[in-house]
Amino acid sequence: MKKKVLGLILLIVVMGAIGTVSLLKQNMPKEIRVKGYLGGEKIGFLEDAEVQEILEEKYGIAADYARAGSLDMVTADLTGMDYLFPSSSTALEYYQDLHGDPRRSEILLNTPIVLYTHKMVLDAFQKQGIAEEREGVWYLDMEKLTELLEEGATWEEIGLPELYGTVSVDTTDPSRSNSGNMFSALLANVLNGGEVVTVQSLPDILPRLQKIFENLGYMETSSSDLFSQFLRMGVGAKPLIAGYESQLIEYAAENPEEWETVKGDIRMVYPTPTVWSSHVLLALDEKGDAFTDALMDEEIQELAWEKHGFRTAEYLAPSGTKTVTLVGVADSLTQITQIPTYEVMREIIENL
Amino acid sequence: MGNTGKRKTLKKGLAAAALSLLAVFFLWVFDQIPEKEDAGRVLKILSGSENQELEGIIEACAEETGVEIQMDYQGSVDIMRQLQEGAEGYDAVWPASSIWISLGDEQHLVKHNQSISLNPVVFGIRESLARKLGFTEGEVSVEDLLRAIQEGKMSFCMTSATQSNSGASAYIGFLYALLGKQEGMTAQDLQDPKLQEKIHAFLDGVERSSGSSDWLKELFLEEDYDAMVNYECLILDANRQLAEEGKELLYVVYPYDGLSIADSPLGYVDHGEEQKEEDFLAVQEYLLSGEVQKEIEATGRRIQANGVSAENTEIFNPDWGIDTDQILSPIQMPDADILMEALNLYQTNFKKPSLNLYCLDFSGSMEGSGEEQLKEAMAQILIQENAAENFLQASAGEVNLAILFDDGIKVILRAADDSDESLKKLYEQIEEIEPSGGTDIYDAAARAYELAAGYDLDAYTPAVILMTDGKSEYHKTRFERAREKSEKEIPVFSITFGSADPSQLQELAEETGGRVFDGTEDLTEAFRSVKGYN
Repeated sequence: MKKKVLGLILLIVVMGAIGTVSLLKQNMPKEIRVKGYLGGEKIGFLEDAEVQEILEEKYGIAADYARAGSLDMVTADLTGMDYLFPSSSTALEYYQDLHGDPRRSEILLNTPIVLYTHKMVLDAFQKQGIAEEREGVWYLDMEKLTELLEEGATWEEIGLPELYGTVSVDTTDPSRSNSGNMFSALLANVLNGGEVVTVQSLPDILPRLQKIFENLGYMETSSSDLFSQFLRMGVGAKPLIAGYESQLIEYAAENPEEWETVKGDIRMVYPTPTVWSSHVLLALDEKGDAFTDALMDEEIQELAWEKHGFRTAEYLAPSGTKTVTLVGVADSLTQITQIPTYEVMREIIENL
Repeated sequence: MGNTGKRKTLKKGLAAAALSLLAVFFLWVFDQIPEKEDAGRVLKILSGSENQELEGIIEACAEETGVEIQMDYQGSVDIMRQLQEGAEGYDAVWPASSIWISLGDEQHLVKHNQSISLNPVVFGIRESLARKLGFTEGEVSVEDLLRAIQEGKMSFCMTSATQSNSGASAYIGFLYALLGKQEGMTAQDLQDPKLQEKIHAFLDGVERSSGSSDWLKELFLEEDYDAMVNYECLILDANRQLAEEGKELLYVVYPYDGLSIADSPLGYVDHGEEQKEEDFLAVQEYLLSGEVQKEIEATGRRIQANGVSAENTEIFNPDWGIDTDQILSPIQMPDADILMEALNLYQTNFKKPSLNLYCLDFSGSMEGSGEEQLKEAMAQILIQENAAENFLQASAGEVNLAILFDDGIKVILRAADDSDESLKKLYEQIEEIEPSGGTDIYDAAARAYELAAGYDLDAYTPAVILMTDGKSEYHKTRFERAREKSEKEIPVFSITFGSADPSQLQELAEETGGRVFDGTEDLTEAFRSVKGYN
């Protein structure tokens, strides 16, 4: 008899527990699995455990991605994809050109194009009067750098006999990835005497731009690959590259020990002028829509700056309370040039 | 209610709570099961052959992470091709250089790729010869090397540029240097007659080729060659073995105007399995941890661009020409299109022509599926459209002979020249023959050696490509007599099929500097591999 009662109690308890669990499960926000194409430079941000946790707990979103260059993703297979998260408005315009308006698009993050180099190269640039330091931040005169690129000056000629070859800036493939694309826009404007290149002025600029890019050879398709190669392969392989400001901030935040060992050599330099890379999220369906809302979360936006170096709308100039403890980050940038229109950019992309 | 009553209620309450917890726990456990069920925690990695030396570290990694690691070794070009086709069945790729991921990952499957080590592609030259040629003092350019080759003072071994990363990187480096350019190779550059003449002359210095860097090193250790182009780490490894055997060491030469560095990237191939991704990241993190990086460095691979960890300074012996403080300025790989064009030109025009002596088993036991597979394999190699897909087209001036055998010689067929039509005709002739009779590989191989005698063997890379499916009658003396008469050693590459006896083939391979390939599972694949060695 006792055993029967016990059995009954056990049964009730178990049933109760099952009920509770399934009830709890129902009350939790249903998990939305979103998948889309992501520019390589934002992988660290999206894979951040804290970001993922906020996405899941507050919004019930599990975010997955496939990595693709900003422009590549527009022409990639979009089946089953809920969003595209390239790093420029050019990619958005490219998308509109091919597929029409996306369901929704929002600029969520911003970061300027910068140059990364090594101490010995920066020293040489300084001696040449191309680079200068102001308040602990390094700036590089784009006009003078462009002159060196056009002349085909060798590293030896600017005082670096240790390096083989001509002065060049390694970028990602401008026709496939954004940082390279943005840098080509910047160079085009500089070649145009600092004016934003228009459909009318492009024909004069294009051959000169082509010549500079011809010397670059094989170009990586992803900014994150280029940056990690820059860090890994040393000054001989990558003396000077173009990238995003966010990349170094993120690297230093994620790898404090490694950063300690390389910070004596690695230098971030702001080109003057520079351009903003605006990371715009294209929602392709309802799930992408929900994802956009979730990423606008205040906490996520804070994490984006502090751990991943992306300036958000509010952080265009990082506020005093939340500065990144990294040497050489500019508070605000004043000399900014605009990206030419999509029409001009398409012409550039097609011809590089 | 008394105290006892309360206690009982409390007990019951506790028991119920405990049971509920237990139930919740079980529910949680059941919830986890579907995810873990099929994840046998196995990670299948498609890797370049140069990583074979890391097997000890990889085993330790498997133990530490609890992830079983299966390595499948292939050439870089094959890895690129696999990626283009979606790399089904692989969870990760680990080619010698990231360029192969960039070129192959058309479907955007690869993520988390990180460089595991840095490996300069260098010349290892017998020390006395390097000294005599003046390569131990000051900087050495590709033109300096060309001069030594043209004066007949040096020949070398190098992997095939169309099959292996070390060969491809070295070849692109030669092209840049011979063009007098530092970057931005164009299609027009490749057509420059001066360049073509020089690269022909340079590649005429290739004594032996191979589809794999690791095997090239093994071959080098067994035979007596002047020099080899290979990864710095494999030259160091060769030197360790040469030192043990008390033989002459290799001096490492870094041609300053044609140097390349392989960055050995390990990347995850995303087929949408979360558990695999976690396992991958665990494996990668292990390999990139400080301690393991130093173990990797101890194998002669660099883990930083300049300098070396204190505990490994002895590995990078300065007496062997290694200066880890020197800044290495590698060449920039050309654009994808130009690179493909350059590789095609290597295969069809620039490389030394091959002299292919196919010995094909047409004994009775081949009847049926064996015969079908053999003929299919020949179609893949001889019909040039097929061959081009794997960069295995015939080179200019290439000679192709087929000896179809049973216990005697059935027929000897010869392609009239290197043209697509002649090669296709050779295939059609082979296609008509029906299998019958017994097996004698020695007679066929002997005939191959005799036929080769009709050619100037210095002008070709000759190879006997022997395919058989059974145990042969042991007529070795017949082969040995033919071999003694031959001016030059011709490697016998064998492909086993069906119930072939590998011991007989192994013996032939060892004696002639060849290699045995297993064609049991995929005969076409085996033929393709062999062709990549020649």
